[in-house]
Amino acid sequence: MGALQQVVDGLSAGSIYAALALALVLVHRATGVVNFAQGEMGVLMAYVAWSLTSAGVPVLVAVLAAMALSFPLGVATERFLIRRFHGQDGLVIVVVTVGLLILLNGIVGAIWGYVSKPFPSLFPNEVIRLGGVAVTVEQIGNLVVLLAVVAGLQIIFLRTRFGLSLRAVADNRESSALSGLAVNRLLMAGWGMAAALGTLAACLIAPKIFLDPSMMNAVLVYSLAAAVLGGLDSPVGAVVAALVIGVAENIAGAYIDIIGTDLKIAVPLLLMVVVLLGRPQGIFGRREVVRV
Amino acid sequence: MNARIRQPTVPWLVRVAAVVVALAVLVILPQQSTPYDNLQITLVAAWAVVIAGLNLLTGYAGQISLGQAAFFGIGAYTTAITALHGWPVVLSFALAFLLPATVGALVAIPAVRLRGHALAMITISLPLVAVPLAKRLDGLTGGSQGLTTPIGSAPTWSGLADDQWAYYVVLTVAAALLALAHVAVRGRTGRALSLIRTSEVAAVTTGIPVRRYKMVVFALASGYGGAGGFLYVYCVRFVSPESLDFLLGITLLCSLVVGGLRSSAGSVVAACFYVYVPNLVGDINPEKSSLIYGAVLLLVLLFAPAGIAGAARGLWRRRKLLARKLATSWPAPSTPTGYLAVAGSTETSQEENGGLTPTRSTASNPSSKTR
Amino acid sequence: MSLLELRGVHASYSDGGQVLHGVDLTVQEGGVTALLGANGAGKTSTLRAVSGMLRRGGSLRFDGREITSLRTDEIARLGIAHVPQGRGTLTGLSALDNLRVGSARRRDRREVERDLERCLNLFPRLRQRLGSTAGNLSGGEQQMLAIARALMSRPRLLLLDEPSLGLAPKITVEVFEAIAGLRAEWSLAIVIVEQNADLALGMAQQAVVLESGRVAIAGTAAALAGNDDVRQAYLGG
Repeated sequence: MGALQQVVDGLSAGSIYAALALALVLVHRATGVVNFAQGEMGVLMAYVAWSLTSAGVPVLVAVLAAMALSFPLGVATERFLIRRFHGQDGLVIVVVTVGLLILLNGIVGAIWGYVSKPFPSLFPNEVIRLGGVAVTVEQIGNLVVLLAVVAGLQIIFLRTRFGLSLRAVADNRESSALSGLAVNRLLMAGWGMAAALGTLAACLIAPKIFLDPSMMNAVLVYSLAAAVLGGLDSPVGAVVAALVIGVAENIAGAYIDIIGTDLKIAVPLLLMVVVLLGRPQGIFGRREVVRV
Repeated sequence: MNARIRQPTVPWLVRVAAVVVALAVLVILPQQSTPYDNLQITLVAAWAVVIAGLNLLTGYAGQISLGQAAFFGIGAYTTAITALHGWPVVLSFALAFLLPATVGALVAIPAVRLRGHALAMITISLPLVAVPLAKRLDGLTGGSQGLTTPIGSAPTWSGLADDQWAYYVVLTVAAALLALAHVAVRGRTGRALSLIRTSEVAAVTTGIPVRRYKMVVFALASGYGGAGGFLYVYCVRFVSPESLDFLLGITLLCSLVVGGLRSSAGSVVAACFYVYVPNLVGDINPEKSSLIYGAVLLLVLLFAPAGIAGAARGLWRRRKLLARKLATSWPAPSTPTGYLAVAGSTETSQEENGGLTPTRSTASNPSSKTR
Repeated sequence: MSLLELRGVHASYSDGGQVLHGVDLTVQEGGVTALLGANGAGKTSTLRAVSGMLRRGGSLRFDGREITSLRTDEIARLGIAHVPQGRGTLTGLSALDNLRVGSARRRDRREVERDLERCLNLFPRLRQRLGSTAGNLSGGEQQMLAIARALMSRPRLLLLDEPSLGLAPKITVEVFEAIAGLRAEWSLAIVIVEQNADLALGMAQQAVVLESGRVAIAGTAAALAGNDDVRQAYLGG
């Protein structure tokens, strides 16, 4: 029964990693950029949500509002920063996004300070017992929210003209422009959607680990690992990988003494190394992630 | 008419003069200034070594690393622990270099097969593992309390205060290490590295043992990180898990880019930037300085991609160009040949301008990623 | 009236290399114009200049409207469909999705479905491959898909860049027969770049020969095809 408990905990954590991993995949597919600042953008907007709740706004409304506000943040990031470096060496883009990471970290710290803040949960604080396994409503909620997000994205991407255009631009910018697609606007939209997802991830994990300017650092590593495992271009792959990582780190933490709860972070790192060496296109991916 | 004539970026004599003056100032300075200022300059020297190591790896070999903080940490802890146990300083130093270098070589085994994003993703996680690891091994590392260690006290014969002694020792060692790094990337090695950076395929076809080069550079860079950690502990006498924070690795890379890649002066500028920004912010909480780090980095990337050192060099070059232009605008017999030669030299190779921009990927067409 | 008009058009790559040095060119509504010339004469660059894929100057007018300063996607939306060299399909998407991207900007759903049917009649080979990933299609099928995708936007002007490139002779004939039939059925003008001058002159009314980024000769296709000096000098005998 203890193992089952770890699986449930892992799935809950994994769904949060999955939300951020989806954001990373969305951005990578659209612009070929791994956005190391994705988590930190979420942190910024989670603080905005916190400010709203402190002003008396119900938490659900606050989170939705923060997600909506994230969209222009993502759009502006693409428009005014990333696009300036389009076509340049991968090294430059990495430096740009990590630069954005510390800039946002500093901005959050300057506005809200470095003392951790409690963040209200979207879900009632109740525990359900299912045959010896204690499941919180929050854990179920995280999973449900994730599944809803995945379903929503699938519908957008596979059933709408907008989604088709996004896929086209991700596949080949020039060719899409020749078909009359407004490439620049679609790229911005991709970044906007990703930012909203990152904010969702931050708001979901905040009740558990408290708001802190650096709260998403570890989550970023988990999500990066999930995105890599999934092949960086496969949303479904990223989600599955994120859930697997969530479960794996919890079980490893509970049953492998050297790892324990504090070194769980080594699990995604090791998985990432193994995958990048053995199968650089990821488990679900078709394309080469690594140019050699 | 030969536009390929390379003008030295800054004349040799000027460089030597600048170095001599700087040395003189640096030797006299600690006698005049406060212990606090001495410590700051000593810290700059220590961080310059850490950043110079990163420069070897990221600047010259083009292998991005966000994990230099972890190697710095290994060096710092090695120093603190060995000093606590009364080991000779020289041995501490050797271990502080060799241990991280070995770990670096181990990390390099998978890392040399990766580039760009993948390498960044692996290295960004290193500090996140290093911090809990340092806390876990509390019998050795003092856990989250950190370690205070008796090292770097001035011997009585020197007649110096501790801060002055540490200043001289750290600066001397740092200068030697920087000079070594400077020499290491000249000549054949430098050409091999620049080929690896710009086109690994070309490097392989020219018969350069790419993986071996990358591994050696990775180990060397990690060793420098560790040596920097030694110098840091030598003057601060304290290390804790806080000192290898997640943001440190990123901040170091940012500082390097701000200072200027592929430039020894750039590494020193970078270290000054890294050390003095928190001072300028003047806040008890040094984390606030990440705002400045990030903002300056993005501004540099947007407007001076060759970093501060590169921009300074560019100004110097433009100064000459400007003078020539002035000369030609006079009805004086200034030959167009001279002008051409100078104009040609503004398009110098990447090594010289140390920037990030020149290595554009071959196709701006995103479909190229399909390959 | 003239549909496309180029006056003194020059163009250069983003790195500064100039490829066109003042091209004058007129394409009539509903006609086929062959763009001929040696390798590097500027044929592809002329098409890319029209579509806004090169930095360009001079005057480009489409249907009387100045398009010199427009972006690629804006030009495409005016009714210029460009099938670039090497096909330019969206290799990761299914063949059907490729066609849907072609019509993504259109709102006349019923007409779109009718056009889809017409495309599949034009290239019957595509019908069985609709669900396949475009990258997995054969070279000929990809070329057909690229042309069909262009048609799905209901263009008034179709720019075809070497549609025969790398195709087996049998497939080339199939593709060219389809292209020859386009004009009547889709009421559009075509500019076709082609290495094989006879193939191109066979279906064109007008022909333009480029040399070193300039127009060397322009005239009716028949006149150019019949002029031995021209054939000798520009069209490889």
